[in-house]
Amino acid sequence: MNPDRVRLIAYLAAVLAVSIIHQPLWLALGLGLTLLAGGREAGSILRRAIRAVLLFNLLISLSYLVMAWLHAVSPWQMLLRLNLRVLLLTSLTFLFIARVNLFRALDFSRNLTYVLGLAYSQSLTFRRAHDDFRLALASRSLRRPGLRDRYRASAAAISWFIEKSLHAANQSAQALRSRGFFHD
Amino acid sequence: MTEMRYRVVKPALAEASPSEKDTAPVMQAIDIQHRYGDAEILRGISFALHPGEKVVLLGCNGSGKSTLLKILNGLIQPTAGHFMYQNEPITPKRLRTPELHRRFRHEVALLFQNPDAMLFNPTVFDEIAFGPRQLGLQDVSDRVNHWAEQVGVSRHLSRPPFSLSGGEKQKVCLAALLALDPKVLLLDEPTAALDPRSTGWLIDFLSGLGITILTTTHNLSLAPELGNRALVLGEDHSLIYDGPIQTLLADMERLAAANLVHTHRHRHGNIEHRHTHVHDWQ
Repeated sequence: MNPDRVRLIAYLAAVLAVSIIHQPLWLALGLGLTLLAGGREAGSILRRAIRAVLLFNLLISLSYLVMAWLHAVSPWQMLLRLNLRVLLLTSLTFLFIARVNLFRALDFSRNLTYVLGLAYSQSLTFRRAHDDFRLALASRSLRRPGLRDRYRASAAAISWFIEKSLHAANQSAQALRSRGFFHD
Repeated sequence: MTEMRYRVVKPALAEASPSEKDTAPVMQAIDIQHRYGDAEILRGISFALHPGEKVVLLGCNGSGKSTLLKILNGLIQPTAGHFMYQNEPITPKRLRTPELHRRFRHEVALLFQNPDAMLFNPTVFDEIAFGPRQLGLQDVSDRVNHWAEQVGVSRHLSRPPFSLSGGEKQKVCLAALLALDPKVLLLDEPTAALDPRSTGWLIDFLSGLGITILTTTHNLSLAPELGNRALVLGEDHSLIYDGPIQTLLADMERLAAANLVHTHRHRHGNIEHRHTHVHDWQ
């Protein structure tokens, strides 16, 4: 078995374990081990993970705090567990992406490789387009864009992405059908 | 399909004046290098643009043309080297100074290859008025009407720009940039979304503008219509040519090295043979 597939299995097992474990101490230990495995990239993985989950965790934590206060229960054990679990899962995923060649990990299945190839090419196209939308607004703005301009630019970009996604999905399905991928 | 190398090349309508090269450059790229991770995008790019020049930046897909334009628009910081606008170094960091930012964004405009990336206002009128409104100009409405008429989108002024065709969107973007009276126009593959009639219109329109224009294209047959000087990015991402377009077009070896021409089997009557050439429409 190639090393990438071993890492994929280890990652899936770790995700399952983190979902089952409830003790904050074990979750903290898992986070420590993940960062240790990250080596020199540990700082970058942790920073990116915190950035990725900050808004979501903040909203959930605040909502839970309010609920706990209304029901007169202690929220800390639950908050610690929730935040550690989300941070650990996100860090694990960033570590996995940095360390594993997904194409090699999935090369046992032709269908999975096809799906991964499609998703990967779409994500590259969309990343380039996202950069263009961001830079175009910067290029056209003589002063810092106001909230209304940023809202409009984001809405236009989201609308474009949805339209393109639908079109691309349709094209991909047609291309796969044309190549005999579906047997309907 | 016709063969480019036998074609008589007519010079661009708006020729640069003889004294153009004597004037101070409006923009100068100095040993610009750029990388994305391990991938080299630009290697040691140096050139100068003079006021009123119409320059064409040629290169095959992936040679770094779009990245270079974004660097020249102060949107991306090159990995090494720098560029000057009117003898002032421009970097994203320096552009945080409000005065410089305002002046630079006012005077140097970039038309993106994908016009959708530039359109976000509710109507075509608002789209063209976006720049002039930021300048606090009094004649916003006059400017919008003038440039809408110039590019031929007057009848769409109250429509959302998203509902227009690709060519019309491109024209709206162009009007939105020109409404600011820029001194330098950077155009990234402006004919990519245009049909042949609109391409002809664009060539005439640009040749009538008395400002500095740098246009990227990988369509060699359009190059002599868009300018009289060519810059060519090679497949190794370095600048392999800077000079008159006519000289470049006669240099098949250099064009082949830049992957701007191709060789394939084709027929002339009953004779079938292969040679290097370019097609008019790619």
